[in-house]
Amino acid sequence: MRGNPWIFAGRLWLGLAYAFMFLPLVVLVLFSFQKNRFPGFPLQGWTLQWYDKLFSDGTLLNALGNTMIVSPAAATIATAIAFFAAYAFNRFAFRGKTAFLALVTLPILIPPLILGVGFLGLLARIHLSGTLFAVFLTHVVLITAPALAIIQLRLSQMPVSLEEAAWDLGATEWQTVKKVVLPFALPGIFGAWLLAFTFSFDEFIIAWFVSGFQPTLPVAIYSVLVAAIDPSLNAIGTIVFGISCLVLIGLELVLLPLLLGKSENQS
Amino acid sequence: MTAATADLELLSITKNFNSFVAVDSVNLKVGRGEFVAIMGPSGCGKTTLLRILAGLETASSGQLYISGKDVSDVPVNLRSTRLVWQNYALFPHLDVGGNIAFGLTLKPYDKAVVAGKVKAMAELVGLSDFMGRKISQLSGGQKQRVALARALVTEPEILLLDEPLSALDAHLRIRMQGELRRIQRQLGMAFIYVTHNQVEAFSMADRVVVMNKGRIEQIDAPEEMYARPKTEFVARFVGTNNLFTGRIQEIGHDRVIVHCAHGQVVVMTDDPPPVGASVFVVVQADKLTPAPIGLAGENRLDATLRGREYAGSHNIYLLDLVDGTEVKMTMPQILPVEINRPVTAWFSPQNAALIRGAA
Repeated sequence: MRGNPWIFAGRLWLGLAYAFMFLPLVVLVLFSFQKNRFPGFPLQGWTLQWYDKLFSDGTLLNALGNTMIVSPAAATIATAIAFFAAYAFNRFAFRGKTAFLALVTLPILIPPLILGVGFLGLLARIHLSGTLFAVFLTHVVLITAPALAIIQLRLSQMPVSLEEAAWDLGATEWQTVKKVVLPFALPGIFGAWLLAFTFSFDEFIIAWFVSGFQPTLPVAIYSVLVAAIDPSLNAIGTIVFGISCLVLIGLELVLLPLLLGKSENQS
Repeated sequence: MTAATADLELLSITKNFNSFVAVDSVNLKVGRGEFVAIMGPSGCGKTTLLRILAGLETASSGQLYISGKDVSDVPVNLRSTRLVWQNYALFPHLDVGGNIAFGLTLKPYDKAVVAGKVKAMAELVGLSDFMGRKISQLSGGQKQRVALARALVTEPEILLLDEPLSALDAHLRIRMQGELRRIQRQLGMAFIYVTHNQVEAFSMADRVVVMNKGRIEQIDAPEEMYARPKTEFVARFVGTNNLFTGRIQEIGHDRVIVHCAHGQVVVMTDDPPPVGASVFVVVQADKLTPAPIGLAGENRLDATLRGREYAGSHNIYLLDLVDGTEVKMTMPQILPVEINRPVTAWFSPQNAALIRGAA
């Protein structure tokens, strides 16, 4: 249909929606390169001084480093726990199944503030408070539930006969998990890891309570913000945004063809 | 038909789910290279029985022998049986070749040996050109071939098939029936084929097992089962039969007279039950014809025409006898009688069979 005004209106709407979503990011990136100490239009010349400050000061960069250690580790452990839990919930009927499920889900229902106070008390008692390892532990507790939900959703789509077929063809239980269940759950595991990672990366309240002298990025950003509005925040934001973009593109190029395309198992 | 050595023997296999008896003391012998179809309505226990043979269920009691060895307690992954599923149960993350090779890759075979076996099997089932395809790119018939090849390539002693063709359209189903039969003959392997489809069971199997409520009702060759059903259930389940309940009134030298609700029926038999015994008289619907004009005497059925169903090659006429018994008569011709008008049907004493009643 040529000249249909609705198609034009639809595209305009789509454009506006995207602009609304991405405008803050664009502004952030722009301000990270501009000279004026206070963000505002019109822009007053270009500079890399905020990046320079960021790298010479090192606080925020250190914090980013901390986050890049904690979040992937927590996401990986949480996803591993979530996979086996989801498999058990999906496959077996056992006593207290509902109670177990509720217990796993509980940490995301409790307000993080309460959880943070609780963790602080507990970790102080076992002399783990103020360490990166403490952040890692608390984040695993927090992000296992969403990871579990995603993997369970995927596993519930798996017909029972798939596992039975593997056993029937001679596979042991463990071989079946490795060669059939795991590949089937892979898109779910992958999505679960990403979500868990994002949750951990973003998480502020609990990290603020337990991180102490090894702050994660959100905690470090907060302490900079409290002191003064500093454009190096824009710079660290741009770096994080850049990393996310690279990761996304990498996924698109490497992992998606692997998941959706031909399997490597050709005999 | 049946070889001397039994490939499979079931000794009073019973399976309870809590208080429900799914399989009730089933005895069955299947010969080497025999094609046995297990048939019955849904919930009759046929699939449970097949899963017990595969090792996916454990029998509550009874023994299972394969080639003379008691395998009752052998777990599923160590059995020499393979199951082919109704929904194929193919591994979606593997391609056709990967699916067929799955069972072999679990064993310490040389890669070249696996490739050779997979190739030969793909040829047997006609999948050579599809080895690199993804499962989602296959048609139903092709999927079924993959499932078959995946099972057969592991060289099982017995192949178990659970309604493997029921998801296919009619044309393809008939083609696959012929192919299954060809493959089975070529390999000389015992096939146990569960289906609720009579035509499938009767056209493929050497012997048909009819199950009902967990019990075996009858085991016979298809023609025998069709012509001489041994129980009331089989008579009602197999083919289109009319059943009349009655009691033996008189015994002649090669025939008996049965007293039924609508009148007397004469049946030829060599093995008459005693006088007074309760029996069913079974007459196939296509053995009923309109009574020739002026025919006096035996096996006339005075009835009212209630309806006609047109089934393409033949017509099915629904008749009500004087006592209300419903009777089906099939014939190719059109009956020149209007609905709700009287009609007289007739059958020859040779075309009726007797089944001993329960009470």
